[in-house]
Amino acid sequence: MDILNQLLQGFATAATPINLMWALFGCTIGTAVGVLPGIGPATAVAMLLPITLKVDPTASMIFFAGIYYGAMYGGSTTSILLNTPGESGSMVTAMEGNKMAKSGRAGAALATSAIGSFVAGTIATVLVTFFAPIVANYAVRLGPPEYFLLMVLAFCTVSAVLGKSTVRGLTALFVGLAMGLVGIDQISGQARYTAGVPELLDGLEVVLIAVGLFAVSEALYNVLYEGKVVETQNRMSKVHMTRAEWARSWPAWLRATFIGIPFGCIPAGGSEIPTFLSYATEKKLSKHKDEFGTKGAIEGVAGPEAANNAAITATLIPLLTLGIPTSNTTAILLGAFQNYGIQPGPQLFDKNSALVWALIASLYIGNVMLLILNLPLIGLWVKLLKVPKAYLYAGILIFATVGVYGMRQSAFDLVLLYAIGLLGVVMRRFDFPTAPVVVGMILGPLAEAQLRNALSIGEGSWSVFLQRPGSVVLLVIVLAVLLLPRIMKVLNARKAGAKSANPAGA
Amino acid sequence: MKPQQTLVGAGTLAVGVLLAIGAIGISSQAGYSGVGPNFLPWLVGISLLVCGGFLVYEARSGGFRDMDEPSGAERGDWRGFAWVSAGILANAALITIIGFILSCTLCFVLAVRGFKSAEGRLDLSVRAWAVDFATGFAIAAPVYWMFTQLLAINLPGLTGSGWL
Repeated sequence: MDILNQLLQGFATAATPINLMWALFGCTIGTAVGVLPGIGPATAVAMLLPITLKVDPTASMIFFAGIYYGAMYGGSTTSILLNTPGESGSMVTAMEGNKMAKSGRAGAALATSAIGSFVAGTIATVLVTFFAPIVANYAVRLGPPEYFLLMVLAFCTVSAVLGKSTVRGLTALFVGLAMGLVGIDQISGQARYTAGVPELLDGLEVVLIAVGLFAVSEALYNVLYEGKVVETQNRMSKVHMTRAEWARSWPAWLRATFIGIPFGCIPAGGSEIPTFLSYATEKKLSKHKDEFGTKGAIEGVAGPEAANNAAITATLIPLLTLGIPTSNTTAILLGAFQNYGIQPGPQLFDKNSALVWALIASLYIGNVMLLILNLPLIGLWVKLLKVPKAYLYAGILIFATVGVYGMRQSAFDLVLLYAIGLLGVVMRRFDFPTAPVVVGMILGPLAEAQLRNALSIGEGSWSVFLQRPGSVVLLVIVLAVLLLPRIMKVLNARKAGAKSANPAGA
Repeated sequence: MKPQQTLVGAGTLAVGVLLAIGAIGISSQAGYSGVGPNFLPWLVGISLLVCGGFLVYEARSGGFRDMDEPSGAERGDWRGFAWVSAGILANAALITIIGFILSCTLCFVLAVRGFKSAEGRLDLSVRAWAVDFATGFAIAAPVYWMFTQLLAINLPGLTGSGWL
């Protein structure tokens, strides 16, 4: 009952005209950045972080959440019409949705992904509403050792487990951690890695790293390597689903929602895995297997799009209750909270409950807004795809400048921005993941503080991690996450080896 | 044996070395916690050395493992790249002197030259410069006004009026 009361209060806050305006503004910008290739929600939120200097926290969080959400809706439009995924989470949609569009069913694909996103997003928001306070209640009992291990778990999954190469994932993570080291040490007050440059004493700005790594590097990469790539756009058709298409979409949306949510909740983040899982599930269960990969099956669009949105929404649970980001965008949202001096975590529901509940309420409102923005107005968004690439990327550079310069008013930061952009080009060219850099940079200093607090509790002894049941469990999970995939690989290889050896022996 | 990949690995090693050298100068004053402010720097530095070592090894023994083919052309279009780089760096150098709007417009104009050059249709006619300048101005100016007038966030101007 208490939860419903607080939610109602949240609605009261979120439904004030000014906050509704921020939500609508956020959803619109979000859809636009989702549609536009070359710029995603993480970049957009990062570029707009300077508004945290002036706008009150509730309004700006509602605004940022709208962008985060909206980009997922918009991303599917690009995937379906251009076959270039607007976001990494809409990779699968790009495969199947594009096939549908090629066979003249672009409208149905767009409809199923928008409605599916709405269904999944709303169900996931309901779960966030009821689940997050419970998690927060438990999380209050966690001490520094458990927090430190949770952060280590996030580091491991984001770098070593999700990517294709552990070495490259870990390299990216440590580069991020190194960036996080620059500046004044929180505990001892000592300056580290500032090389005598006064600008570096305050540390590197999140905006700078995110915008450099995503926006500037995207622009530089594009001009270097993709100038000659010509994109063909599929023809639009009427946004409409037949009765049969509804019947095929419904179960896919629901199944995908429950595939997506757990992946968002655990600190293993990212929306790629649940989308692929949902795709595989739908392919297996479908009565129209022949349509997959040929003329495009609607389940193959409905499922992954819903899974994607469910996972995205659920990432708010670890962010709000534990203060642990599991994706690029949530890492930057954490940065936004920090700009206000708010540290997300279990206390957030007590100390800033008005903000949290307004934010959650705004998710319900945002989902409705996005459904309206994306279905009847789809034609408007499609026009965005006609912006010539040269103007699009050159324009992105202007916004990058606003974001980075607006944050600290330092021209030095703009030079650093270029350097980070170059780093991003190298990383992209050699297939290094970028999420570990951002997560490492933001979470690194927090993890270091927790580690040192934990060791203080243990009077300097590392055995503190083995003396508390919670931390032992987490330690086991960390080891399992790191070792299980490798053991499985060896076992599978051995099994395959035994199989191929057997016939020869017999 | 892949020379470019070896270079990336060597770069990682170099960053590791730099971090380790920097770590020497950081105090180890641990207080109650057993590890001081130099603990994480050492950990990160050494880890990067290990990662760099692995990368170099992979590069010299058949290339990075499980790597996706990078998208796009085999060779970079360095002329276009130079235009865009010039745009970004000119912006950094001039923003405090000629103000946000003009500096960003210049960056926009130069960047557009770069992208068009990469597409193989670089147009250096006066008309193209004028059109791009007008387009850039039309993006930069409203952004500037929104930030300075609506949100009251400081961005540098050519004049103190808050409009240019």
